[in-house]
Amino acid sequence: MKLFAQYFPNAVTMKSDFLQATGETIYMTLFTAIIAGIIGMAIGIGLTVTQSGGILENKVVYNILDKLVNLFRSIPFVILLAVIAPVTRLIVGTAIGTTAAIVPLIIGSAPFYARQIQNALAEVDRGVIEAAEAVGSGPIAIIFRVYLKEGLADIIRSSVLTLISLIDLTAMAGAIGGGGLGNLAINVGYSRFEGDVTILAMLIILVIVFAIQLCGDLLARHVDHNA
Amino acid sequence: MTKDAIIQLKDVDVTFHNKGQTVPAVKHVSLDVNRGDIYGVVGYSGAGKSTLVRVINRLQRPTSGQVIVNGQDILAMKAKDLRQARTKIGMIFQHFNLMNARTIADNVDYPLKGGKLTHAQRKEKVAKLLALVGLSEKANDYPAQLSGGQKQRVAIARALANDPEILISDEATSALDPKTTTAILELLKQLNKDLGLTVVLITHEMEAVKEICNKVAVMEDGEIIERGDLVTIFSEPKQKLTQDFINTATQIDQALDKIYKQANALGLDDHHRLVQLKYVGASTDAPLITELFKRYQVVSNILYGNVEILQDTPLGNLVVVMAGEPDQLDQAWQYCRDAGIQVTQLKPNDSEVA
Repeated sequence: MKLFAQYFPNAVTMKSDFLQATGETIYMTLFTAIIAGIIGMAIGIGLTVTQSGGILENKVVYNILDKLVNLFRSIPFVILLAVIAPVTRLIVGTAIGTTAAIVPLIIGSAPFYARQIQNALAEVDRGVIEAAEAVGSGPIAIIFRVYLKEGLADIIRSSVLTLISLIDLTAMAGAIGGGGLGNLAINVGYSRFEGDVTILAMLIILVIVFAIQLCGDLLARHVDHNA
Repeated sequence: MTKDAIIQLKDVDVTFHNKGQTVPAVKHVSLDVNRGDIYGVVGYSGAGKSTLVRVINRLQRPTSGQVIVNGQDILAMKAKDLRQARTKIGMIFQHFNLMNARTIADNVDYPLKGGKLTHAQRKEKVAKLLALVGLSEKANDYPAQLSGGQKQRVAIARALANDPEILISDEATSALDPKTTTAILELLKQLNKDLGLTVVLITHEMEAVKEICNKVAVMEDGEIIERGDLVTIFSEPKQKLTQDFINTATQIDQALDKIYKQANALGLDDHHRLVQLKYVGASTDAPLITELFKRYQVVSNILYGNVEILQDTPLGNLVVVMAGEPDQLDQAWQYCRDAGIQVTQLKPNDSEVA
């Protein structure tokens, strides 16, 4: 503890700030992950089944989803934060704060996740889908019992990737008023020249990222029976 | 059109549109498959076989034509009815198409999910199906742990889960070694016999057809160029392609290649003739070679011999050098022909095989 105080002279006095910031980062990440996860998953599945040769092939729907995803994926997140502030205010009541940050986080990460899901589901063998059709499975059964089941290992890997990039985004949202570790690192650590605060915030984020990566890898390996 | 036709394809056309190009994959094909048939569809890759059989369960919608399965118009069906109809048409594939994330038992159980059976009934059914294909002890393994032949057995069990009356086999043995192929074909034959399963078997190997089919259709460029019962097709192939397939299957091509290579050593002349003898059925039983010597003093030296038993009918193929006086030889040939044996004189310079 003494050693810690020596290297982190400012941070050591800010225990409650760090706890709160870590809590906020986890809150933003989890909340966004759930909602963006559902939206992204739905769009990703939509893209997969409506694409050419898909089980519910539909050019119009596919093109709309495809363009929408591309559009939102193209907007830099920092700009997106500002652009959709009015929408955020409408939904949450305010454009500042941890909960407010969740709106742009969802819009920023859902399209990314949708693409990841689409890529994961593309790995499911077309022949297996055909076999399921041949035994009389309908689209819903094929989505839930074949695509999501067969693609599970890849879906987990994609989800880990998305979660990690989401933590990246929460830090950015934090820096412009969203709270969390990003806020602490920039608005306290960087702006007040308390470099140790920035470093500690970074270290905590790294620990979170590594933990997610580790759990994800273990889980993916557990459900993967390909070899 | 027989009354007993379980599958009727009438004037089926399948045309693919690809980047502005139209590619006809199946052209005006009509095909009747009777209940209890094991119907082989043979052709090289790209001939349209797979596309044609995918029409049967509407995995491929034909551009035009009519598809009647079990008296039902498959093309007029609504999605829900089609799914119901598909449960009665099993299908197995070249690459097995098993679900890697599911255990063997779960793969077989898959078609039963969402059906009427209770959990216990399904479990019992899966155990029965796995026993039927001889894989009971693998129930809790995953497909990646199985050999190709075992995977295909699982696929067969899965295809049979809903007690179909028809089984479509799309190159199901093409990825397997010869021994495993024979075992899988034996299994199909047994299922045909025990369950009355009608089998449509697509393949590019005439050997597979020879093993189990009772009828054959030969496809080329999207059309059926020759069809009939197995023995007729094998004994009197009319089309060049059919002959090619059969010669490959009986390996007579290879044999003749070798014989032709050392043709000079045979010393062929008017007294020594290279002859191919083909016979079907009972004529194989007569001691032909001895008879020819006794009657006409013609000595026959057998270079190659092959007897296939197709649908319990023997089908013989002999390549011999017959030695004797020219007029005696002619008489000997006439004797053979009278006995129902096809006689063809082979010219080593002529690579055509009769």
